[in-house]
Amino acid sequence: MTAPAATRWQQTAGRTPAAVELRGVSRHYGGKHAQVRALDDVSVAFAQGSWTAVMGPSGSGKSTLLHCAAGLERVSAGQVLLGEHDLTAADDAELTALRRSEIGFVFQSFNLIASLTAEQNVTLPLKLAGQRVSAKAVRQVLASVGLDERRRHRPRELSGGQQQRVAIARAMVTRPRVLFADEPTGALDSTSARQVLRLLREMVDGVGQTIVMVTHDPAAAASADSVMFLSDGRIVDHARAPSAAEVAERLARLEG
Amino acid sequence: MLRLSWSTFRERWQLFIGAIVTVCLGVALVQSSLLILVTAATSGLVEAIALLAITLGVSTFLAVFIVSSTFAFTVAQRRRDLALLRLVGAGRGQVRRLLLSEALLLGVLGTASGVPLGLVAMDVQTSLLTSLGFVPPDFAARWRDWILGVSAGVGVGVALAGVLAASRRAGRVRPLDALRDTGEGARVMTGARWFFGLLFLAGTVALVTVSAFVGPEGAIPLTINAALTASVALSALSPLVVPLVGRLLGLLLRGSTLGTLAQANLRDGVRRSASTAAPLLVLVALLVGQTGVLASIDRASVHEQRRDLAGDLVVTSTGPGAAGLESVPGVAVAAERLRVPMTVTTRTVDDGEVETETEDFDAAVVDPAAYAQTYRRAPEAGSLADLRGDTVAVGSGRYPLGAELEAGIGGRTVTLRVAAVLPQTMGGGEEILLPPGLVPDPVASAATAETIVRVEPGADTSDVAEAIGARGLGEVSTLDEWITASASRQQDTSSGIMTVVLGLSGLYALIAVVNAVVIAAAERRREFAVARVSGLSRGQVVRMALVESWAVTAVGLLLGGVAAAGTLAGIAGATARISGVATVVVPWELLGLTVAGALLVVGGTNVWTTLAATRSRPVALVGAGE
Ligand SMILES: Nc1ncnc2c1ncn2[C@@H]1O[C@H](COP(=O)(O)OP(=O)(O)OP(=O)(O)O)[C@@H](O)[C@H]1O
Ligand SMILES: [Mg+2]
Repeated sequence: MTAPAATRWQQTAGRTPAAVELRGVSRHYGGKHAQVRALDDVSVAFAQGSWTAVMGPSGSGKSTLLHCAAGLERVSAGQVLLGEHDLTAADDAELTALRRSEIGFVFQSFNLIASLTAEQNVTLPLKLAGQRVSAKAVRQVLASVGLDERRRHRPRELSGGQQQRVAIARAMVTRPRVLFADEPTGALDSTSARQVLRLLREMVDGVGQTIVMVTHDPAAAASADSVMFLSDGRIVDHARAPSAAEVAERLARLEG
Repeated sequence: MLRLSWSTFRERWQLFIGAIVTVCLGVALVQSSLLILVTAATSGLVEAIALLAITLGVSTFLAVFIVSSTFAFTVAQRRRDLALLRLVGAGRGQVRRLLLSEALLLGVLGTASGVPLGLVAMDVQTSLLTSLGFVPPDFAARWRDWILGVSAGVGVGVALAGVLAASRRAGRVRPLDALRDTGEGARVMTGARWFFGLLFLAGTVALVTVSAFVGPEGAIPLTINAALTASVALSALSPLVVPLVGRLLGLLLRGSTLGTLAQANLRDGVRRSASTAAPLLVLVALLVGQTGVLASIDRASVHEQRRDLAGDLVVTSTGPGAAGLESVPGVAVAAERLRVPMTVTTRTVDDGEVETETEDFDAAVVDPAAYAQTYRRAPEAGSLADLRGDTVAVGSGRYPLGAELEAGIGGRTVTLRVAAVLPQTMGGGEEILLPPGLVPDPVASAATAETIVRVEPGADTSDVAEAIGARGLGEVSTLDEWITASASRQQDTSSGIMTVVLGLSGLYALIAVVNAVVIAAAERRREFAVARVSGLSRGQVVRMALVESWAVTAVGLLLGGVAAAGTLAGIAGATARISGVATVVVPWELLGLTVAGALLVVGGTNVWTTLAATRSRPVALVGAGE
């Protein structure tokens, strides 16, 4: 049943131009004896302007999928296309350039630089890219995540939800083509989580941001446009705009 | 970008302060040693130059070794931060430039503080040298403007060189490593480590082998070099040893949770452990190795004198007195050595210019026949029977047989032909022997005479000694007492040499040890916090870190001991060849003190830093997701 599900998924996603596309991607870890197939011949296209949630049991390859799609991890086989760029063929300089302009990341552990203020964290990608930083634009981005007031605070002086919103602002400040988020609400309480999800929804609806988000939380997955399910490194199911209960039920079937 | 460095500085000041301290002390030490050497050389203190050159060499080595390893360590410690930079779009070149400009800045700051500190170090070193008698009391090292260039070159150059390789590696850090909380990500045993480790190991073997084939004067610098190359080799290869010691620790503390945790941490923090062990390794290698080398040479020379000198008593007097001694009943032979200062001037023609060099010697006027009866070894070349008239016998390796020397004795200049070359010794032998008649009477009668007396068979030594004493012919001691007394004088000189060469350098290495422990702990706040929320009490965390730091100390001591053993192997070869018996003195007492001191210093620093790192409530750190 897995193969038809994957094919069907590809077809449905293929109607609008893809922001990111994986073609037959596999990723293996380990040596000859104890090999782990974290991703096993995965083909998927994420349409421009869509918000896709990736779900699956622990160890099913969700993070690996995200890392491969974002060019953070080398693939063992297959191809990753980000618009017109082939990530699997890109060298480090090209990947760096893409990280500056086309790709944004948000992770469960917020990964802010502890020594920099919220504002400095947000402007860092622009500075690294050698771009002039307009104070107004930065304040705008911070305001859009509701943190204009706290811009001079350092990460440890912010709550988890606030730190995650700083991380989102940092990811968005370069106006990336795709935002990759790995359990962005995983470390947050439900109120902060809802706030973050609302923020992501605004970005999708407002500027047509493409988002690929790994999550364990059915409620978070239900905020996305569609949900795909991974198991043992393969895409096994998908659902378009499901309810949280529906997601939970499908996930239970996978894990059971 | 440097703004980022500045804010990083506020967050991780231990790393930066640690880096500055190593540069500052290194610059101070090199600058002071160099100024003293230059002053000594220009004021013609030929005797002290070799010692000062060794001191400068050791200081420079330590500065390069400690600064570069500390800088590389600080870079490795920031791996996660640098990966994060890469994640948000920093290119490889940017990471490298950031690190290099930081190194430049830290190097400049270190140099700026090191130059004035160097003046203090110079005072300390000078007073050491004068109080130990290596330079005259009025010796004062002079400041020279060009030294600023040298100091800046050492401080900034070495800092940059230290970061160069590390920054290239850091530039290659994978952005994904920012997501891994613990673990080192990178392979610790890099190709460069293997390369330099094996290269320097081969160099050490070569030096140790060669040091067995040179005289004692050559053996000392060679074994010091062997200790230094061994230190580089072993600290490069130390990541191989850390896990082994970890496993040993696991065996020792089997069943204890803290032991298991400490073992796991050692396995996980190989790089950190290796960096902490490095300065300790050098300190032990130099301190134990060189003390052992000097003590071995001293002991070998005592053995040699006991074997080569044939006599029963030694009489010390002023002016020639052998004639009087010979008339004492029971005295068979009285071989006098009248100690007079002498100079030898050599002229070399270099580019049409004549360069003269005058060397001072402590010559002994002897009666060749009597001398030969109390000294069992034959000359290496020539014959003592020819030592008469305008001739001289010289120590091995100085001048060839038949050479004509321009000698200055008691204000007169004479040309002397080398009639014999004495056999090579471990240090107890004579530098120059003169036949009677060359020394003007006033000089001779003011000189100290040491006369070796052989008593007639059947005569009682103590009766003869009493008779000599009763006639007031001089101070009498047995030959054995005399050898022991001169050996203990030699030992004082040896410990003086150790103090000069390793006094400040050892202090520097010790500070570097403390520094490395502090830098290592700076990065572990979060790790400790995680351990505490997993149920460890603060005391348990401190104990876990202490056990771990002692394991690292053991690595440093062990490898330093191996390096010291290598240098001692060299001296064993040298003593075996020169004196016929392999003589090795292992300075157990010093070794014990070093082990205890290292455990105390590293342990104490570790407890202090761990307490500091666990001061804040653990949730604050774990929750911050830093
Ligand atoms: N660096 C690595 N080395 C070896 N194996 C790895 C590595 N990274 C991931 N794996 C393995 O690959 C598989 C997929 O891991 P991945 O992190 O993608 O899972 P996941 O779906 O994100 O799980 P979770 O929901 O727990 O985060 C797992 O079996 C994991 O053990
Ligand atoms: Mg994951």
